[in-house]
Amino acid sequence: MEIKTTMNGNEAVVTLSGRLDTTNYNDFENQTNEWFSNRITHLILDCSDLNYISSSGLRVFLTIQKRMMATGGKFSLFAMQPGIREIFDISGFSAIFSIYPDLESARKG
Amino acid sequence: MEENTKRRVLVIWNDVKELYRITGFLETLWEDWALPVKTMYPINLVLEEAFSNIIFYAFDDQDTHMIGVEFLLETDKLVIIIKDGGKPFDPTAKEDPDTSLSVEERPIGGLGIFLIKKMMDEVHYERVQDKNHLTMTKYLNSEN
Repeated sequence: MEIKTTMNGNEAVVTLSGRLDTTNYNDFENQTNEWFSNRITHLILDCSDLNYISSSGLRVFLTIQKRMMATGGKFSLFAMQPGIREIFDISGFSAIFSIYPDLESARKG
Repeated sequence: MEENTKRRVLVIWNDVKELYRITGFLETLWEDWALPVKTMYPINLVLEEAFSNIIFYAFDDQDTHMIGVEFLLETDKLVIIIKDGGKPFDPTAKEDPDTSLSVEERPIGGLGIFLIKKMMDEVHYERVQDKNHLTMTKYLNSEN
């Protein structure tokens, strides 16, 4: 899994490429701690290249969401692949995350 | 076993890195058995979830243990049987998480088994001669 971060003031646009599963969710989690210590107020995740997620990955997403909400920030996801979207729908995550079709709407939303 | 049933077995160790082997195995299997492409992710997911539960909870020691995964392709369904010699553990006995809870109320854990039950059409657990047998079935009709 590859993580690319583009900073824009207090906004971070992060591209996650590949798989997020039990073998690498720790790396992602460590990265999120870095973002939090940089006081990011809007974390925007580009999911266009994310082609697999399992419960380990979903747990990290939920932790991020809880943390951003608790600190008054925002966590947005965009361009989710259909297979990933299905997992979000089934687990009820679609209702508790801010999911957008593209970066522009994620920024505005 | 039905006359037209295909069978293949994957043996893995109770190590997280074996997940890579599962993915590789499935890619080959999907090609060999000409299985519908869109079912590969759900099957990979349920295997990861079931396998993760076994490696994290089934064994109390630090030893290496073998886990057998049997794949059976019948006319209209794919049957997967995971067998391990760990502690008795019935994943189907767990209560489903409440998916209507808000972010603050949603607990961090509990999703793995739930996803298995949702992605597969049938999930069945049995304890057979000191082994856990988890049988998961996916129907392969045009809707799937």
